[in-house]
Amino acid sequence: MQLRAVALSKTYRGPGGQPVPVLAGADLEVKAGEFVAVMGASGSGKSTLLNLLGLLEAPDAGEIWFEDRRVSHLGRRVQCRVRGTSIGYVFQSFLLISGLTALENVLLAARYVGRDRRSAEVEARTLMARLGVAHRSGHYPAQLSGGEQQRVAYCRAVLNSPPLVLADEPTGNLDDDHARVILAELRGLARERGASVILVTHRADTAALADRTMRLGGGRLELA
Amino acid sequence: MTLRSLLPRGYLFTVLGITVGVAGLVALGAMAERITRFIDGGDRFVLGQISVAGEGMGMGTGFTAGGLLRAAKVAEIARVPGVAAVQPQVMLPLNTTTSQFLTLTQELVLGLDLSAPTPNRHYRELPVRAGRFLRPGDRGVVVVGADFGASRRLGVGDRLPVGGIEFAVIGVLEKTLTAPDRFAIVAIDDARELWLRRDPLLVQVFGGGPGALSRGDLNSGAAVGWREGEDPDELARRIQRTVSGVNVTIPGEVSRLLRDSTAFFSALLFGIAALGLAIGGLSLSNTVTAAVFERIRDFGIKRALGATDLQLLREVLGEALGVSLSGGAAGVALALAIGFLVDARALRQGQQLFLFSPRLLVFALAFSVILGALAATYATLRIVRLSPAEAIRRGT
Repeated sequence: MQLRAVALSKTYRGPGGQPVPVLAGADLEVKAGEFVAVMGASGSGKSTLLNLLGLLEAPDAGEIWFEDRRVSHLGRRVQCRVRGTSIGYVFQSFLLISGLTALENVLLAARYVGRDRRSAEVEARTLMARLGVAHRSGHYPAQLSGGEQQRVAYCRAVLNSPPLVLADEPTGNLDDDHARVILAELRGLARERGASVILVTHRADTAALADRTMRLGGGRLELA
Repeated sequence: MTLRSLLPRGYLFTVLGITVGVAGLVALGAMAERITRFIDGGDRFVLGQISVAGEGMGMGTGFTAGGLLRAAKVAEIARVPGVAAVQPQVMLPLNTTTSQFLTLTQELVLGLDLSAPTPNRHYRELPVRAGRFLRPGDRGVVVVGADFGASRRLGVGDRLPVGGIEFAVIGVLEKTLTAPDRFAIVAIDDARELWLRRDPLLVQVFGGGPGALSRGDLNSGAAVGWREGEDPDELARRIQRTVSGVNVTIPGEVSRLLRDSTAFFSALLFGIAALGLAIGGLSLSNTVTAAVFERIRDFGIKRALGATDLQLLREVLGEALGVSLSGGAAGVALALAIGFLVDARALRQGQQLFLFSPRLLVFALAFSVILGALAATYATLRIVRLSPAEAIRRGT
């Protein structure tokens, strides 16, 4: 899926109410099957950019297009549907739900898009087996290591085969071995499945695995 | 299916919070129900019959507190148009010490003339839990009220000494939560005998000659029933007009007086109920709301995965229903346990503090479910106003 972000702007309010501009007219285009890395200093707005692209919050200005559909201006309900079917998220802090088992966390992705639970479960178990966490399917997040949690979170992100995968520092809390597994999976998604993958990282060696690296600074994106 | 599988994980403290709130509501409600039943029972009794006593102040106690109602007067009352039945009665305090005399919790000996049908329209028969009720011709036997029997651990076949006479217990009444719970009911001739033993002065007025008293004159009052279609208040006034030398209670007026005199209890009752609702309701809604807000991060994640507002609301309501119902049921169980423990102790003094009526228990469960659902809806609607990213940020 081709993603196009045009002139995205976002300003937050500071503790004293003062405006804190984060994005100021950021543009980005990612083709189907392309693996793009976004680098930038801490606080440069990398996570905010992913949140906007993933429809997790609304930009103050600008547009986001998936193919020829302007998704940034869709209604709440339709945006929910787009999030569930078209976007997969991998977060640095995993964001698993503590009250659900690993398998239940993975299946959560299928629950809200109306997929048949039985077939989703078969697929989830296959995915978990491939990522080496099938034996942990009945465990709760607190009972898993960081690497296992990230692999579970990855399974959840790709269960619905979304055409767009957004990964926010997915290896930030992992050791090198586990980091390699996740990065290889993300590359595989782009190469083998044709998904658009956007990876936010502050590590140059990680960004080097991408087809293209963009640098975020002063609220804008530039080719690194 | 285990409790664990029914309850969403991490809700244990929420359930405990609701349990405490609902237990408070049910316990306070049960105390209010107890007072209501007592007042209503008295009201039903006085509205079911016309009570008549002799004129003046006599030894008679209980509802009439008048002088002797002699047999001739009983017969005169029976002839008043509209009267269906007259049942002479003797009502004596079991214990004549001043500390017991004329108190709300007074234990009474009630002597009934069983040759006349019971005229009270609301208490045609007092329900018997064990044994049987009195029959015409019975002597030396007693039917005891539920609290009277429980406080003395009396059962059918036991002996009960009263005023030097040994009575055999032949029946124990069902609990009525009103006056008869403290009655010892005997044949009227036995009650007359007790009366004579207690009041030697009465013995002196037995003698020959015109105007002398006979045992049939020893009535502390009579219960009067009315014919179908008769206005009881109007009939009471008719008796007052046509029979001289009697005190007649007008059922409607007595009921009003009873209500007036129990106005304090009614106010107390309202206060208890309002307090129970406030404590239970605040505790429950606060607990459910806090539980939903605590999971703000989870809701953010779910919305990121495509959950719509409606899907989230449905999910939260389902959980709130399970949690509120579990907490409500546990609260009811806790209140019942506390109530039974306290009442087991209170019953030794012939008291009962709680009445766990079905309507109270159903109300408590419905209250917890509805309030839980409202609180969960409110919290969810607050949360879905946030963007998924903001919800995740706030919950992390």
